[in-house]
Amino acid sequence: MPEPHLEPSETTPPAAMIRLHSWIPAIRDRAKSERFRPWLYGLILLFALAFPYIDGNEGDIDSAANALAYAMLALGLNIVVGFAGLLDLGYAAFFAIGAYTYGAFSSYQMQPEWSSFWVPLQWLGLVQHLTPDGGIGTVHFAVSFWLMIPVSALVAACFGVVFGAPTLRLKGDYLAIVTLGFGEIVPIVARNWPYVTNGAQGLSGVTTPKLFGYDFSVLSTPYYYLGLVMIVFLIFVSTRLKHSRIGRAWLAIREDEIAAEAMGVNRTRLKLLAFAIGASFAGSTGTFFVAKLQTASPEMFMFPVSVMLLVMIVLGGIGSVAGVVVGALVLQLLQSWFLQDLTQWIHALGNLTGIVFLQQLDLVQSIELIFGIILVFMMLYRRQGIIPERAAVTALSYDEQNAMPSRRSIEARLAPLHRRTIDPSKPILEIKDLAKSFGGIHAVAGIDLSVMPGTIVGIIGPNGSGKTTFFNLITGLTDPDRGKILLEGEDITGLKPHRVVEKGIARTFQNLRLFSNMTVLENALVGTHTRTSTGAIGAVLRLPRTRREETAARDRALEILRIFGNRLIPRVQHLAHSLSYANRRRLEIARALVSEPVVVLLDEPTAGMNPTETLELSDQIRSLRDRGVTVLMIEHKLAVVNEIADKVVVLDHGEKIAEGTPKEIHSNKEVLRAYLGRTTDAIAEAATAS
Amino acid sequence: MTKIRLSRRAFNVAALTGATALATGFGGLSAFAADKVVKIGITVPLTGADAEDATLIKDGAMLAFEEANAKGGVHGYKIVPVVYDNGTATAGQYDPAQAATNTKKLVSDPLVVANVGPEMSGDGKAMSPILSEADMATITPASTNPDITNPKMAGQFRPKGKAVYFRTVTTDAYQGPEMANYFKEKLHVKSVFVLDDSGAYGVGLADAFQNRAKKIGIKIVGRDQLNPKEADYTTVLTKIKGLHPDAIYYGGVAQAGVKLAKQAHEIVPKMIKGGGDGISGGSFLSGAGFPAVEGWYSTNAGPHLTESPKAAKFVKDFKAKFNKVPDDYSITSYDAAQVILAAIEKVAKSGKKMNRSNIRDAIQNSHVKTLQGTVSFDKNGDIKDRTVSVFQYRHDTSHPADDLTAQLKYLTVAPQA
Amino acid sequence: MTAWDVFLQQVINGVSLGAMYSLLALGFTMVYGIIELINFAHFNVFMMGSFFALWALQAMGFVGQSHILYGLPLAGVLLLALLATMLGSGVLGVAIERFTLRPLRGVRGTAPMITTIGLSFILYNIILLGAGADSKNYANPLPNTAWMISGGATLRLREVLLWVVSLLLMLGLHYFVRFTKMGKAMQATAQDQEAARMVGIDVDKVVVITFFLGSALAGAAGLIFGLYYNYTSYIIGYQAGLRAFTAAVLGGIGNIPGAMLGGVIIGLIESLGGQYIAVRWTDVIIFSLLVLVLVFRPTGLIGRAAPTRS
Repeated sequence: MPEPHLEPSETTPPAAMIRLHSWIPAIRDRAKSERFRPWLYGLILLFALAFPYIDGNEGDIDSAANALAYAMLALGLNIVVGFAGLLDLGYAAFFAIGAYTYGAFSSYQMQPEWSSFWVPLQWLGLVQHLTPDGGIGTVHFAVSFWLMIPVSALVAACFGVVFGAPTLRLKGDYLAIVTLGFGEIVPIVARNWPYVTNGAQGLSGVTTPKLFGYDFSVLSTPYYYLGLVMIVFLIFVSTRLKHSRIGRAWLAIREDEIAAEAMGVNRTRLKLLAFAIGASFAGSTGTFFVAKLQTASPEMFMFPVSVMLLVMIVLGGIGSVAGVVVGALVLQLLQSWFLQDLTQWIHALGNLTGIVFLQQLDLVQSIELIFGIILVFMMLYRRQGIIPERAAVTALSYDEQNAMPSRRSIEARLAPLHRRTIDPSKPILEIKDLAKSFGGIHAVAGIDLSVMPGTIVGIIGPNGSGKTTFFNLITGLTDPDRGKILLEGEDITGLKPHRVVEKGIARTFQNLRLFSNMTVLENALVGTHTRTSTGAIGAVLRLPRTRREETAARDRALEILRIFGNRLIPRVQHLAHSLSYANRRRLEIARALVSEPVVVLLDEPTAGMNPTETLELSDQIRSLRDRGVTVLMIEHKLAVVNEIADKVVVLDHGEKIAEGTPKEIHSNKEVLRAYLGRTTDAIAEAATAS
Repeated sequence: MTKIRLSRRAFNVAALTGATALATGFGGLSAFAADKVVKIGITVPLTGADAEDATLIKDGAMLAFEEANAKGGVHGYKIVPVVYDNGTATAGQYDPAQAATNTKKLVSDPLVVANVGPEMSGDGKAMSPILSEADMATITPASTNPDITNPKMAGQFRPKGKAVYFRTVTTDAYQGPEMANYFKEKLHVKSVFVLDDSGAYGVGLADAFQNRAKKIGIKIVGRDQLNPKEADYTTVLTKIKGLHPDAIYYGGVAQAGVKLAKQAHEIVPKMIKGGGDGISGGSFLSGAGFPAVEGWYSTNAGPHLTESPKAAKFVKDFKAKFNKVPDDYSITSYDAAQVILAAIEKVAKSGKKMNRSNIRDAIQNSHVKTLQGTVSFDKNGDIKDRTVSVFQYRHDTSHPADDLTAQLKYLTVAPQA
Repeated sequence: MTAWDVFLQQVINGVSLGAMYSLLALGFTMVYGIIELINFAHFNVFMMGSFFALWALQAMGFVGQSHILYGLPLAGVLLLALLATMLGSGVLGVAIERFTLRPLRGVRGTAPMITTIGLSFILYNIILLGAGADSKNYANPLPNTAWMISGGATLRLREVLLWVVSLLLMLGLHYFVRFTKMGKAMQATAQDQEAARMVGIDVDKVVVITFFLGSALAGAAGLIFGLYYNYTSYIIGYQAGLRAFTAAVLGGIGNIPGAMLGGVIIGLIESLGGQYIAVRWTDVIIFSLLVLVLVFRPTGLIGRAAPTRS
């Protein structure tokens, strides 16, 4: 089945696009404020560049270079923990891998015997032939530092995938423990593999970088500038990723991974991608760090380092790129400058007052205690960190808040909701003998259903009759025990939820599964995930194709949000959890529609809405049908079902007990018995009343 | 509203910038030094697991500097010690990255002419190339890993060629093997199980011991590693019991050593047990206590000094000043300081410029009378005297149980052949 | 010692180790069962407990292992120390819950776990900075009696003590949870907090009691650790914690008999693995086991269904 991509010209004409953007004040305001930031960053950069000349002390420059290294690590951890929400407690393992990879291929550690095998590598400049005492000689690995930076990033990324793979199905706490385990294992392996790592004694003789003949050797300043270049690059990559399709998908996974998968996000791939990219940051930083120090030992990469990085990002602001860098620098400054000065000050105070405790207090030793306090304090009182990842949103104006809801349904002149041609004579969805049991409970016990395109099918039944399980089976959230599901004749049984979305079925949830900490617009944009294809590299490069795709996706999302008139549009920059209940229901429907489904499964769409809202939504659902979308709707409000359903299916105890037009169902004895019980009078009464 | 938020952000950045500029500015101000001052660095890990022993080393050097200043300085030069902590809380012990930063700080200060330290060889590996580049000498009273002064690895540790890493102790290249000699010749040990504590020092020492033991015909029944953070060593001790060697050799420091001693006392009480200078200290004795340490042999990578009459004055002064009992490394540290002071005197007298290159040369050609005898160095920086002393813990009830000098009995010089 | 003796001795060692891990895992798994939170701080409460007991014993006049007692006075002293540490640790646990975890109840995501990591650091650093990094010799009135079994292996009094106390505590806990009213309230809250609230169970109180009991058990484990190994230090929580955590997961997290079984299995792996492979690889073996269990059988050997909260 073709998976069409969004192109702007196909959705709205250009004039309307411009109108759309300018009309939404919130988006316009943010665009304006972006202008001011470059000045700020320019100032910071200028100071950073001038720093070695302001403070000539090599030790201070070295500290600064170390601080930059930790900031780079924090950025990498931020991708795993902040962007994707995967708590990695063993991140230092990737740091170690990057360090030892460079150390292995660019030091005197490994010296295998020379043979002709090494000649081409010698020709490429990757190895040298050492003959200290004449004879055959040995191989000296001398791969260039500059080559090793991307290579160790790659190696670390591979390990990121390897360590991430077992954690994919684990829930947050367990995931953290497994990563902790890997973080413990890597130094142990390093300690017990002396051929490559020199074990506990530590690697030495690591080659220093050389640039056009200039050897960095033990000078701090060139490393400092190199660190600046690297960190600017990593900040750039992080930011680009964050504001891209990939970043949104990660955020969706962080918020609610089941809902994310149900909206088309391939959880497995994206989680592994987060691990890989995060690990790659640590890999290149490891190379940088070990080249500067010229030695590496297993103790440098243990649990306290992983925790320190965690403290950095918690302090700075989980998920915020600027925040994480600030957090890292603040903590490093704390350790190397402020605490020492503060200690001197306290000693002086102690000498003045004669309090022995103060005279002997050494704050530098208590840095770990401070780490612990920071963690607890931040979690309790300021979970978003120093620089929150998301700026506060402007509130709606008085007029906007009190605007009368418009009851218009979609205008006919907007483009169709999906772009496929459907054969109206054949059923669009066929379900054959679908069944699922949980232990002894037969939630769905053999259901057959055939749905014609462009119809609204109401699914009703008492509580516990298996309606939501039925939806879960169709969308792939649960695997059926037996039965088939065919979409336009294609067998989609057993496909994972994100594949089902690709094929064209979208859904909403009974208990609302929005991405609470994402904006309305972002929620809707997640829906475009399956119809866009930019990957991580595209996100960083932002080629014209990617930009076009982003614009088209935004237009598409806004267009769908417009279906609900001025209910959602004024609130596009508001976080989903701040919406009213009814608006949240609407948003969830909009999110489902964005993925261009041919069939939409709505699970109690009007739940919790008052009669006016219910009426409005019913109208809107009817318009959907008129626009070519097939709707399956679980509903408890029989009035709604009566109004808009073309066909009604009644479930009870996992079985389909009736199927037909609303009128037919009304007088169906089985249905009445299921809802009202066995009393004959009741049945008779109900029959005469309808 | 957007504007207010932004300017607060800008203010924060400006404040941070301003504060940093001020701090670095003040740092620069202190470079104004009075003339006829000479600075000597002391770099030891004062934070973490090695803190206690590091402090004893620092105090030893400080005593020497204070005595010199009390006499009016060295040839008119006032001695200003600059102490840097090589340990960090994150590492929980010595931290090579911190050592490198400290060395760079020392090297940046033109008044610093030499350094005492480091204690741990892991730090030494990071420090040595930086020192070599700056042509500044350090004298370590305790770092025993032979690699750093190994001429075969000179390219890594002293790229400029001249020795900068001097020692007033000998290396594990001697400590380990000479203990093996002792085991064989004096204790008639025929089989041994070797343990290390997974640290850089311990692994190196155990390897050196094991290689020599094998060479001279002692059977190595097994080799395993202890995790210093773990509590329970009964598994490996039971394994050792099952193999019944004559002796156990432990390369490592007190953190694992203490637990090993306690549990070995219960599981293999009759076995001969020995270790290196890592267990020759106060922390091992006070942590394990008697009867657990009773009978343990240990070595020091230098001659035994604290009981010699020459050192008696030092011990008295040390106790008076710092309220602590010095160990043998306090003495080697004191001696290292003396060597530096002698070098300063020599350079000052010769009329040459008081800079670190000349001091280094002077140290290289040292022939200084110290508490441990006459100190001179070979061309790699190693001390020419290869003495390794052997001790044994024997409970002396007439002295307090944690008095190291009383409870750790000096036996003899280890056989060198 | 024959090969058989060695094997037997290692089995004894392993089961003793295991009893220690089981005790630790118990309190941990209880708390997890109720509030589904991995409480890193638990293992440092254990460490604090060993210090509380040490100070109690020192206050009673014991220093080191030189002063031995027998019989009734021994039992009395140990009981006092046990009470002191269980009380102290229990109160510590309750304070942790009340001031740092309760405000975060219901917060999704990683915040609660990060908080327990922070607490963990605070606890052990307080001891590190206050009492120093070195190992403290434990004040121990236990006699050093041991019995020979089958020619080569020995069984020590303190091992028997360890098993007996652990077993008693575990049985006591099991009885409490199964048969008392509060225990049933705990079970109910573990299954479904909201439903428990709706039938009138004071969930806050249940959580407090759970924390108290779990922490008290950790404290008891701390005393036993000190008596068994004759030392304590600021770091004992970390290493033992990882092993105990693996034991809890192996047995099935939230499951009390599972914690016992898991502990013994881990202890045996440690001793037999160390004997027949090498001690240096124990950590790797145990962590690999942890990963395998979590990936392939997250409910553990006995455990109930893994919680569905995502």
